[in-house]
Amino acid sequence: MPQPTNATAAAGESPLVSVSKVQKTYLTRQAPVHAVASASLDVARGEFVSLLGPSGCGKSTLLMMIAGLEAPTGGLITLAGSEVKKPRRDIGIIFQDATLLPWKSALDNVLFPIRILKLPMESYRQRARDLLAMVGLTDFENKKPSELSGGMRQRVAICRALIHDPEILLMDEPFSALDAITRDQMNVALSEILETYKKTVIFVTHSIREAAFLSDRVVVMGGRPSTIVLDMKMPFPRPRRFEIEETAEFTSVCRKLRLTIEEAHGHPPAASNASSASRGGGVIE
Amino acid sequence: MATTGVGTETGAVIAGSAAADRGGLSNLRSISLPLGLAFLVLAGWQLAVTIGHIAPVILPSPISIVRYIIDRYDILLMHAIPTTLESAVGFILATLLGVALAIIITYSKVAREALYPNLVFFQLIPKIALAPLFIIWLGIGSQSRIAFSVFIAFFPVVIATTAGFMSVDRSMLRLCRALTASEWQIFTSVRFPSALPYIFSGMKIAITLAIIGVIIGEFITAQAGLGYLIIFATARADTEVSMAAIVVLCVCGLLLYGIVALGEWIANKFYAADTE
Ligand SMILES: Nc1ncnc2c1ncn2[C@@H]1O[C@H](COP(=O)(O)OP(=O)(O)OP(=O)(O)O)[C@@H](O)[C@H]1O
Ligand SMILES: [Mg+2]
Repeated sequence: MPQPTNATAAAGESPLVSVSKVQKTYLTRQAPVHAVASASLDVARGEFVSLLGPSGCGKSTLLMMIAGLEAPTGGLITLAGSEVKKPRRDIGIIFQDATLLPWKSALDNVLFPIRILKLPMESYRQRARDLLAMVGLTDFENKKPSELSGGMRQRVAICRALIHDPEILLMDEPFSALDAITRDQMNVALSEILETYKKTVIFVTHSIREAAFLSDRVVVMGGRPSTIVLDMKMPFPRPRRFEIEETAEFTSVCRKLRLTIEEAHGHPPAASNASSASRGGGVIE
Repeated sequence: MATTGVGTETGAVIAGSAAADRGGLSNLRSISLPLGLAFLVLAGWQLAVTIGHIAPVILPSPISIVRYIIDRYDILLMHAIPTTLESAVGFILATLLGVALAIIITYSKVAREALYPNLVFFQLIPKIALAPLFIIWLGIGSQSRIAFSVFIAFFPVVIATTAGFMSVDRSMLRLCRALTASEWQIFTSVRFPSALPYIFSGMKIAITLAIIGVIIGEFITAQAGLGYLIIFATARADTEVSMAAIVVLCVCGLLLYGIVALGEWIANKFYAADTE
């Protein structure tokens, strides 16, 4: 595992994803919506960066712009040096819902990108099985999504995002719909997967604990219209195990993140549900 | 898609097989209950006719109707064939037209805004009243009956298919676009298969409407067909023949419906299988 580097300080190597002074205004029937006022962010190859922030601050919007699904109204996004103008094949996306095809088996769902990208199906079937085995779904590859639990479906979605070996994984609250225990399991599973299949990840979440546990860097968005208010390195060694959550350092990092988010949200820190944010999943909403 | 589900993997499997067991039991009931009721009604009918001495012109007994069907199956078959064929052609054209309109409505905003309200308004017309006009426009041949049958059968297909195309999850579409899928790929591998249950439910309504359309056409003018036979026999107070024709019509309707259901089963199998 390469040491996580703060991209701005990366020695010589240019960042894989570069977001500079990006702005997004949605034109609607009513007043235009300023989703992102100005966001600048560099992500180095192999880095895991989380986006935290209050609801509606433009995290999903930023992710969609990086995926090439939405055009920024200002600023520039580059991927490996070239401007993002439309979707690219080397990105894998995971949403809050697994969004699997209900009439296909787990294995065929994992292979869905291969069909869309017109890659040779036969040469990826084994990889799909390996990925499913990695997330403990070997015995379920022929099951339909309706026969899988929520956590299992989301694991299938992760395999699907990895099947065509993309450089970058974009994850928009991938575990938000899961219960707390499943979610913890998924966090461990994800960090194990990333130890095997090294990826650059941009991860949107509402959980401070999850962000701190998984990330090399946590970026907090906030304000109205929103900007990036904090960009913080996570000082924990890898591979990460749950024990780090017991450390004082972890607690203090989480506290710092929580205070920043509450400030960005315009709440006086004391008035918020501080206890739930620090322990029980750390959900802001 | 419900995300709560059963927490553990074994739990999901157990729940699944339990549901299957219940399905097996309720299957037996769902067959025996309606069959039993139908048998009771028929027996009551037969009894009422025999004991009550009802004249066959008013109400022939089930047994005499069945006997007529067995004795004169050649005549009934002769009339059943044109009705069934015209209904099938009307139904196929209605389905093609309905799905084509749904595709246009789904992909063109202008078409959607122009077409949809008109289609709904159209639906308010008592369309059966227009049947005689089709004879004036298209003559007394089968083309006017087929056209009328298409006219009353296509609407449920449009509505159901459009709903099906629109039902596709937004995230799924985003995922496809992120994978640089073409609109055609999205249509063939996501939109169309997602819409299949909707399309088939529209088609099941359309098949019954298509038969109604042909029968009404035959009531107005025809030289053959079950609708023609019913009118002809009723005019001569031949109630038994008329009833026999209706029974045969039901069988033809069931046959066509069964073909649609079979088509649905095949389509589901096809899409569930790995197509590559
Ligand atoms: N397609 C759209 N058209 C118009 N406005 C939009 C659109 N998508 C998002 N917005 C607006 O942009 C703002 C940011 O939305 P976005 O979904 O990016 O927030 P978010 O940070 O992901 O929120 P959440 O945490 O609730 O998912 C919101 O005010 C939202 O209403
Ligand atoms: Mg969002």
